[in-house]
Amino acid sequence: MAELSFNVNHGYLEGLVRGMKAGILTRTDYHNLAQCDTLEDMKLHLQSTDYGKMLSSSEEDLTVSMVDSKLRENLLTEFSCLRSNALPPLSTFLDYITYSYMIDNVVMLITGALKQRDVAELLPRCHPLGAFDQMAAVGIARTPTELYSAILVDTPLAQFFQDAVSECNLDEMEVEILRSKLFKAYLESFHSFCKTIGGDTKDIMCPVLEFEADRRAFIITVNSFGTDLSCTDRSALYPSCGKLYPEGLSLLARAEDHEQVKAVANCYPAYKIIFDDPEPGSGFKTLEDRFFEQEVKLNTLAFLQQFHFGVFYSYIKLKEQESRNIVWIAECVTQRQKSKIHNYIPIFQETT
Amino acid sequence: MCSLLRGEEMCLAQLFLQSGSAYDCINELGELGLVEFRDLNPGVNAFQRKHVNEIKKCEEMERILEVKKADISLPEGDVNPVAPLPKHVMAIMEQLQRLEVELGEVTRNKEKLQRNLLELTEYTHMLRTTRNFVQRTSEVSVFISGLIQRTKIEAFERMLWRVCKGYTILSYAEVEEYLEDPDTGEPTKSVVFLISYWGDQIGQKVKKICDCYHCHLYPYPSSNEERTDVVEGLRTRIQDLHTVLHRTDDYLKQVLMKASESVYTWVIQVKKMKAIYFILNLCSFDVTNKCLIAEVWCPVNDIPTLRRALEEGSRKSGATVPSFVNRIPTNDTPPTLIRTNKFTSGFQNIVDAYGVGNYREVNPAPFTIITFPFLFAVMFGDLGHGVIMALFALWMVLYENNRKLKNTRNEIWNTFFEGRYIILMMGLFSIYTGLIYNDCFSKSLNIFGSGWSVKAMFEAKVWKDADIRGNRVLTLDPNVTGVFRGPYPLGIDPIWNLASNRLTFLNSYKMKMSVILGVIHMSFGVILSTYNYLHFRKKHSLYLVFLPELLFLLCLFGYLVFMIFYKWLVFTAKDSRLAPSILIHFINMFLMQAPTLHRLGMYRVRFDFADEFLHQAIHTIEYCLGCVSNTASYLRLWALSLAHAQLSEVLWTMVMRVGLRMDTSLGVFFLVPVFGLFAVLTVSILLVMEGLSAFLHALRLHWVEFQNKFYSGTGVKFCPFSFSLLPSSFEHDGLL
Repeated sequence: MAELSFNVNHGYLEGLVRGMKAGILTRTDYHNLAQCDTLEDMKLHLQSTDYGKMLSSSEEDLTVSMVDSKLRENLLTEFSCLRSNALPPLSTFLDYITYSYMIDNVVMLITGALKQRDVAELLPRCHPLGAFDQMAAVGIARTPTELYSAILVDTPLAQFFQDAVSECNLDEMEVEILRSKLFKAYLESFHSFCKTIGGDTKDIMCPVLEFEADRRAFIITVNSFGTDLSCTDRSALYPSCGKLYPEGLSLLARAEDHEQVKAVANCYPAYKIIFDDPEPGSGFKTLEDRFFEQEVKLNTLAFLQQFHFGVFYSYIKLKEQESRNIVWIAECVTQRQKSKIHNYIPIFQETT
Repeated sequence: MCSLLRGEEMCLAQLFLQSGSAYDCINELGELGLVEFRDLNPGVNAFQRKHVNEIKKCEEMERILEVKKADISLPEGDVNPVAPLPKHVMAIMEQLQRLEVELGEVTRNKEKLQRNLLELTEYTHMLRTTRNFVQRTSEVSVFISGLIQRTKIEAFERMLWRVCKGYTILSYAEVEEYLEDPDTGEPTKSVVFLISYWGDQIGQKVKKICDCYHCHLYPYPSSNEERTDVVEGLRTRIQDLHTVLHRTDDYLKQVLMKASESVYTWVIQVKKMKAIYFILNLCSFDVTNKCLIAEVWCPVNDIPTLRRALEEGSRKSGATVPSFVNRIPTNDTPPTLIRTNKFTSGFQNIVDAYGVGNYREVNPAPFTIITFPFLFAVMFGDLGHGVIMALFALWMVLYENNRKLKNTRNEIWNTFFEGRYIILMMGLFSIYTGLIYNDCFSKSLNIFGSGWSVKAMFEAKVWKDADIRGNRVLTLDPNVTGVFRGPYPLGIDPIWNLASNRLTFLNSYKMKMSVILGVIHMSFGVILSTYNYLHFRKKHSLYLVFLPELLFLLCLFGYLVFMIFYKWLVFTAKDSRLAPSILIHFINMFLMQAPTLHRLGMYRVRFDFADEFLHQAIHTIEYCLGCVSNTASYLRLWALSLAHAQLSEVLWTMVMRVGLRMDTSLGVFFLVPVFGLFAVLTVSILLVMEGLSAFLHALRLHWVEFQNKFYSGTGVKFCPFSFSLLPSSFEHDGLL
């Protein structure tokens, strides 16, 4: 029944986001971009896409980091247009999207502060989607408790701090643990929020978030090899809303090398393909890239149905992947690494 | 005339441009706007083409000019500077860059000064406000003071409390004035605050929090004497800054004034140059790499001009080897070019809006010039309204060179202005049909004297005085001698304006007229199709399509028209009771001769090809059904004309007559507002609204009923490379 009244509040924005989706670069665009010899060529080509004159206003010579920040700015403009027109519950949903960027920003700022970096130098590197007022003060905190009670208590991130409060000093290891705990709380909360919305939003968003949770679990496990993180510590960090929960997670917690992780993944057809050995002939891809590929696949599915919020999440994620692709191509172009230039992840396989 | 009827004859030509003179040649062609270039490297990306660097340079210059445009008020002139030579480009580029640097420097300086000024103002405010904050100064406490945005103060206070756990005292007060935010330029409210704290560690934290909330911190004076000193110093510095700022402004204005003289020229020059390089990118190189080859569509008649332009271009660049043109045969369909002037272009646009004609197809536009205003006027027929419309259009036509009328950005006005000749014709034809209908603001004009006489009824002793007193309505009998002295010389007899059966009479008249006009219009369309068949050498279509079509139309609806005329001519007032009903007769004819339709369908069986047969069968059915529905469609002429007449009559009786009925002298004063209302309603409803609706229906009658008989309209418009067609120099638009 939600479909009947969906368009009353959210129809305009859904139309808008579907229109934006049509501007996502196609295969031919990537093909043309990959042929470029300089960043100037890329700029010329991007002018013929929906990015338009995005890069042309700059006066100095183009650099990759400038391209990156322009792309982020572009994404921020689009997102804030959506956010400012959104009504609840879509507005809450959109806010949830920004929280993950906020967590990343907080962690980056703390790590930067630990390395005695200046805040003014760190701020421009934060993702603009996750910007908030108290961001600059994050470096003051010494412990997670202090971080929570002094600085983040007013921000929406406060709700994810239930498990993360601890008195140990923030060092690099602790920051990573903090990030994992925050993400765990965040994913679980987002998952249950999508469940309460129900309908197609639940059907679309839950698999995406479950995939995200499982990806975190795998990555945490793989990254923890060789550190002094114990099994119980590790299992406390796994988000419990994924498909791996509960058996897979307990198996993962006991895994001690890559082969054992692969054995766990083999039990799940969706993850088996990610850990499978690459076919001979195709180029080598990192685990991260394979996860990204799978994520893109899941997100493109969201556009097959109407009257749900999944398209907003998927659009932002796809656009982020597109930015990663452009930056990758730009890096390859500037470093003259033509052989690796095709390692981007095309978003829509068919030219629509 | 031939060009207007069929469009210009086109040919594909190859231009061999010597690489040295190619730029000048293309420039020459751009000024003339003779030819349409074809892309010879369709598979090559935009950034892999030959002149991509030059285009980039042009874009760079455009970007600089774009920035300038925001600051400089431009003199709109009709100057048309020629495209600069490639060797002069560097000079322009240099000048532009110098200008950009200079402007940038001045603007940056100005910004710096403004920021400085803001800081000093803020400091003054802070000193003035904090004077009352502290009554007792304790020795241990340290002060931090500054300004923060009004919206952030609450969050700031809260965080300060949480982080420092109460080891601080914060006092703040709002600044009354709005201070300009240097980043956004918006006036914002600020709050002056003073924090006193104890201990170094807390101090570090407090400073960090202040940074985080973008507070502007200023040193807090330790004593009152120091405070007054600082305030004094600040006041003089603010005054100095004001004078400096003033000077900077003046200088900036001077720089801009100097630039504005040449910016307009530059914008056009850069546009032209970019266009030339764009065209050069469409050309391909020959094997020897010495000359460029371009393929163009060109009107056959313009080839000598094209040759001369190339010679001129070669001469200008001082090339030793001339560039030349070579006609090449082709099987591609050329684009359609129909030359128009300011009078015919409006009518051509009406046709093109439906579809650009195929190459060398009969163009309906020359006939539309007469039929369109005529069919419009049939629906709009009113002498008074026609005069107003014609006068309005005449005014536009007489002042068409007035720059104020020409260069407005009002789209609605531009639409009317573009169609001024159409409106003029529509107005003139409406005057004519208004005379025929004898309608002027719903009243009839009695110019020649009515052909009917009431007196004759008395003289023949048919009516007596008692009849007139006893009856509200009496019928004039044309059979009585002297009552009807023959038809009125022009149009409808004015006496019908008084008759109560006027509507019945006019309905019958207008309905029949609509059918007659419609059948003539459609037959004309069918006849025009012969021109296409003859030109495209399709003689068989002449016998197999045109003749059956014409026969069908004339045998059914031509016969109907014949019957209408026959009934008008043969039956007079005397034997009018014996006149048969055309409608009943026609229906009977249809029912008895229904098999005709089938026979016409069978006619096509001769063709062997199944799809040809199917296509023709569909065409046959479509045409037969179309004829019926199209004829019925022409009844809109009657309906719209009736609606227009009725509406104007309603307006007269409901508005104007109310004013005219007042007998007292007060009525004169009452008449003024009533006439105002009448005039406004006449223009807004009868002229504008009804006019638009009649226009729309006339458009439909031409597009559907007339043009589907012969016009396919699936061609491509010829769009020449011409500088005058480039997007208007100051609109932000891409090239071509």
